[in-house]
Amino acid sequence: MKYELNVAHLYGDLLNTYGDNGNLLALKYYAKLMDTDLDIQIVSLDEKFDPNAWDVVFFGGGQDYEQTIVSKDIQGKKDDLTDYIEDGGPMLAICGGYQLLGHYYVGADGEKIKGIGALDHYTLSQDDNRFIGDIVIKNKETGEVYHGFENHNGKTYLGKGERPLGEVESGNGNNGEDNSEGVVYKNVYGSYFHGPILTRNGELAKKILLTALKRKYPNADLSSQEQLTIKPTF
Amino acid sequence: MSFKSTIAKMAGKSSYWFLHTFRSGGSSLPGKITTRLDPTILKDLGKDYDVIVITGTNGKTLTTALTVKVLRQKFDHVLTNPTGSNMEQGIVTTFLTDHKSKNGKNIAILEVDEANVIKVTQFIKPLAFVFTNIFRDQMDRYGEIYTTYQKILDGVKLAPEATIIANGDMPIFNSVKLPNPIVYYGFNNQPDGEMKADPNTDGVVCPVCQHIIHYKFISYSNQGKYYCPNCGWHRPDLTYQLTQITKLTPSLSKFFIDASNFTLHIGGLYNVYNALAAYSVGKFMGVPTSSIQKALNDPDERVFGRQEQINVDGKEVTIVLVKNPVGLNQVIDMVGTETEPFSFVGLLNANYADGIDTSWIWDGNFEKLTQMNIQQYMTGGERYKDITFRLKVAGVRDEQLWTYDNLKDAVSNIKNLPTTKVYVFATYTAMLQLRKQLTSEGYIKEGI
Repeated sequence: MKYELNVAHLYGDLLNTYGDNGNLLALKYYAKLMDTDLDIQIVSLDEKFDPNAWDVVFFGGGQDYEQTIVSKDIQGKKDDLTDYIEDGGPMLAICGGYQLLGHYYVGADGEKIKGIGALDHYTLSQDDNRFIGDIVIKNKETGEVYHGFENHNGKTYLGKGERPLGEVESGNGNNGEDNSEGVVYKNVYGSYFHGPILTRNGELAKKILLTALKRKYPNADLSSQEQLTIKPTF
Repeated sequence: MSFKSTIAKMAGKSSYWFLHTFRSGGSSLPGKITTRLDPTILKDLGKDYDVIVITGTNGKTLTTALTVKVLRQKFDHVLTNPTGSNMEQGIVTTFLTDHKSKNGKNIAILEVDEANVIKVTQFIKPLAFVFTNIFRDQMDRYGEIYTTYQKILDGVKLAPEATIIANGDMPIFNSVKLPNPIVYYGFNNQPDGEMKADPNTDGVVCPVCQHIIHYKFISYSNQGKYYCPNCGWHRPDLTYQLTQITKLTPSLSKFFIDASNFTLHIGGLYNVYNALAAYSVGKFMGVPTSSIQKALNDPDERVFGRQEQINVDGKEVTIVLVKNPVGLNQVIDMVGTETEPFSFVGLLNANYADGIDTSWIWDGNFEKLTQMNIQQYMTGGERYKDITFRLKVAGVRDEQLWTYDNLKDAVSNIKNLPTTKVYVFATYTAMLQLRKQLTSEGYIKEGI
């Protein structure tokens, strides 16, 4: 392959629920169609996150117990992750990963679990209820429509400088109140979508890969990559 | 016996008689009626039995069936609940309709859903519990593994004297200190090495110090001879151990437990665990090893029927139910032991009984299929698009793949597959639809 991207899978050995790993499989599948090899490595407990070593970061969700452990460890990676994000590094964060990029989330037993505050959102919990079901959202700026399956107790509220990934057409979204779902901040995409999101929304996979390629190979001619047509899978 | 429970039992029994005689069914309604009239009825119904409760996420049904076979070698009267009736009302019906022996021991082997353990132990103090395993299920319906285990423990707490017979290879069963006597069974059939579980595996955190656990060897998923490199927490000593596996095909397993050899007329490593659990209960109850061998070696079609083979115009079609990632990965490994070339059919639905979220198929290691001698792939079911894309991402090429948006076409094309052997992976409602279609075309006889 002509190009190579280094992908960090944050806490991939601890946070791996709901088939989220499928996002990496889909990323690899589309990367191949874009003449790009992916080298995917897990960055986990007690390991350093080097912001210059990675071209794409994936951060999935997990069970409450594992997420509590991650919440403690990730404080040591906070500055490096923030640098990566502020520098325009592409990242996809799902569910728990999305929550942990923000200030905090409230766990099932009411305890506040600390995030890294790299993004300005926070997450509350709802009593004895989860948002579960198929969801469709539309991004008003780009016109893109995303399909997924949501399954979350958390209610996330976006902060200043954060835009939603889309507006809810059907389903609940971030909090069931303000019609928003997910987040876009610089080149970070956060969402509650399972399904997984990249297997059903190949356009988003393509967008993340193109951003990473342009960042790593600023002088390359990526027109054939840009022209890749994504066939519907859902 | 109180007047209330006498009336409740009469009402339940007559409804069972009615349902059983005039309709072909009736496993939970009599229990429902009886429980409505006397909510504590299990206390009365269960008092003359030595009860063994079998619980866990995967393998309950086969473990229960094998355990019953083993214990029947020694005991005249062994009661059990029919497949699927593992919630409170089904259990009440089971006792209600039993004709217990007047003299001699009555034994009840109950398959109990994790959340229903407490509904049994409220009224009955079991002699023993069997913990098979706890894997992540489709999480739109169930909680996480720790929540599931807690549900079981909430029930066990009411019976602190019952012996726990647990799968020692499963770390979670060694994570909470309990007052109960515990015996562990597990695998000891590989030399010590040094490894970690596949990253996409659940339940690999040390409960003492929260580091990722390592293994001397792994049987599958997060099961094996585990230890924590940070604090030394490790797998407990095994009382009953599998020492060698000599043969494993999709339809047969041969292995040694504690130096005795066994033949099981079903494949799949997960079924070897089920047999090991049944063996352990047998030993615990004093059944001689030779009798356990006899019971497990029996090619009993009623017991092994869940994974069934159907002849479709000369094709040997094996239908396998898939319901969660660990189970799926186990059957992928199971078909990997097939020696002849075969065709693979994946049928995916997403109704309530299947799990309404299809994300879990992405935790299945379909990539392994591309290393096998598969001549043709076929996909179908209501969510055929999801399973089709999953296979494509796994590396299956378009020309190897037939896709049908309805089951009828899928079934009629089974006969056009290029191989004699055909493995069909189906989710629950897809399997029911497939069976219905095969029945209507005369490949399956009515009522089986």
